[in-house]
Amino acid sequence: MIIAKPRFRLEPYVQFAQKAMAREATYRFDVFTSIASVLVRVYLLRMVWVALYARNAAPSELPLHAIITYSTVALLMGLVMDIDQTRALHDRLHTGDIATDFMKPIVVPFYFFADGSGEVLFHAVLIVPSLLLALFIVHIDVPGPLVIGTFFVSFFLGYLVGFCINFILNCVAFWTLEIHAVQLIVTWVTDLFGGEIIPLVIFPVFLQRIAFALPFAAMFSTPLLIYVGVIRPERYAAALGLQAGWLAVLAVVATLMWRAGAKRVIVQGG
Amino acid sequence: MGKGTPSMAIIEAVGLRKVFRSLERGSGIWGAVGALFSRTYVDKVAVDDVSFSLEPGELVGYIGPNGAGKSTTIKMLTGILVPSGGQLRVAGIVPHAHRMANAANIGVVFGQRSQLYWDLPLRESFELLRSIYDIPRARYLENMRHFAAILDLDRFLATPVRQLSLGERMRGDFAAAMLHDPKIVFLDEPTIGLDVVAKEAIREFIGTINRDRGTTVILTTHDLADVERLSRRIILIDEGKVIYDGSLERLREEYGTHRTLVVNLAESYPEFVVAGAEVVSRELNLVRLRFNRRALTAEALIRRVTERYQITDVSIIEPDIDSIVRRIYLEGYHEGAALRQAQDDTPS
Repeated sequence: MIIAKPRFRLEPYVQFAQKAMAREATYRFDVFTSIASVLVRVYLLRMVWVALYARNAAPSELPLHAIITYSTVALLMGLVMDIDQTRALHDRLHTGDIATDFMKPIVVPFYFFADGSGEVLFHAVLIVPSLLLALFIVHIDVPGPLVIGTFFVSFFLGYLVGFCINFILNCVAFWTLEIHAVQLIVTWVTDLFGGEIIPLVIFPVFLQRIAFALPFAAMFSTPLLIYVGVIRPERYAAALGLQAGWLAVLAVVATLMWRAGAKRVIVQGG
Repeated sequence: MGKGTPSMAIIEAVGLRKVFRSLERGSGIWGAVGALFSRTYVDKVAVDDVSFSLEPGELVGYIGPNGAGKSTTIKMLTGILVPSGGQLRVAGIVPHAHRMANAANIGVVFGQRSQLYWDLPLRESFELLRSIYDIPRARYLENMRHFAAILDLDRFLATPVRQLSLGERMRGDFAAAMLHDPKIVFLDEPTIGLDVVAKEAIREFIGTINRDRGTTVILTTHDLADVERLSRRIILIDEGKVIYDGSLERLREEYGTHRTLVVNLAESYPEFVVAGAEVVSRELNLVRLRFNRRALTAEALIRRVTERYQITDVSIIEPDIDSIVRRIYLEGYHEGAALRQAQDDTPS
């Protein structure tokens, strides 16, 4: 007997994303605290950089206004980049609820992608009020349209790289159920080598070599260095190409991890 | 299936088998550390050569103690576990090979977990399911109206699922499982932890969908009252093997041979013995006697008691399905065993 594969419909996944947005909106207190926390950090980092620059010779590539712009834009990016969009995968593996997902006529990894995207879209909306409020605290450089445009492309690639890294980490739960320790280590490494807090270009040379050779630089460092003009237009193609390369590698790893994990659930019963 | 085929089974399992493989683990902290490096595996047979077949519209109780293999069987039927051996067809489909096609035909309710979306109002979970199963709008509204009436959902449709009581959540889960008119529903311990009123509402609902919609139902449960109330046929499973498949009446007929006579004695007799009956318990003047109804009538036993002792009161307890099943787990099922025992019990 030949059984027709049910035709693929996009509608359920759009619904998953919408419901995820609605879900995030129910935690109103979270919304206010995350905006407030960004503003506090914008203010603190500005103080730190002003104090540091007052006592040291400024690096030629990043004058004070550029580094304040860098760290403020990084904090705004963090509103969406720091979300663990696929935590639902880990949670549902932990509780065993993943079984109910496999019992529905849906492509399960697409469900997690849709759900995470909804969550991220909701938080992306918060960038606008956070930005407007941040402008009361700091001055942000606004580059030309080519730079801004490339920055957004690079930001999007960086988001997808971050998504893959998160997804891979949450897939580890297929084997260990608990991923807290692994996640903590990766968070430290990302904080240090991602360029979210300290621009990689002011690292000592040997650390720079390591940092630029790792995929984490593709998350924050590349879009931010484009924004502040350290990466010049003639190097855009190479920078975006490297990000796309990392994305391809990580997407393959994520797919393999998912396949092995899903197989483990359906053969071993989780 | 061609014309004239005697079986039109909607579910067919033949020699179904599932073996789980896990790392061997020693005890204590060194055992745990050792397990990190060990490559010795132990196989655990969860389901062993299980065969059964269900006609469309049947309602079957799938009964067994903890770890008997009930949930493993259900998971294979839903296509989320790959069998290690044997054949399985659900509405003509091999579940694990066509998980998505199979999913459209089945509805599942787990007493221990929910398929509703935790943070959203109950109504939104139903909306989401409408979209997932591509249920036509008119049909969806009709089903919603119907289920809301039977399960009394209207009061909490707007409440987030996390704020529902267990009884309300289970009613929501039942509606969710039935919304797409599945041909078959698998119910895994659906009444666990519910109070008497909620249990009754759920049983009523299961009965209704089976009767009115002709939905085939497999019900696994610990609570044999569910089965007594709902199904005529039960499959008993223990240690992964089917030990009984047949009607509840036959089981009761064969195994429900022993009744209990409760006697209230007028005086405290130090010694109490009656031929043909066994004293099960004695608390002061209250004595419980177990006797085989095939060997001895209640009337005859009461006569034997009153011939020798003064009594104030007497009552009879009929065997319940619970005690019958408990006995089968302990002794195993043997066809005709009860009859042989009846002969042994006959006083000579």
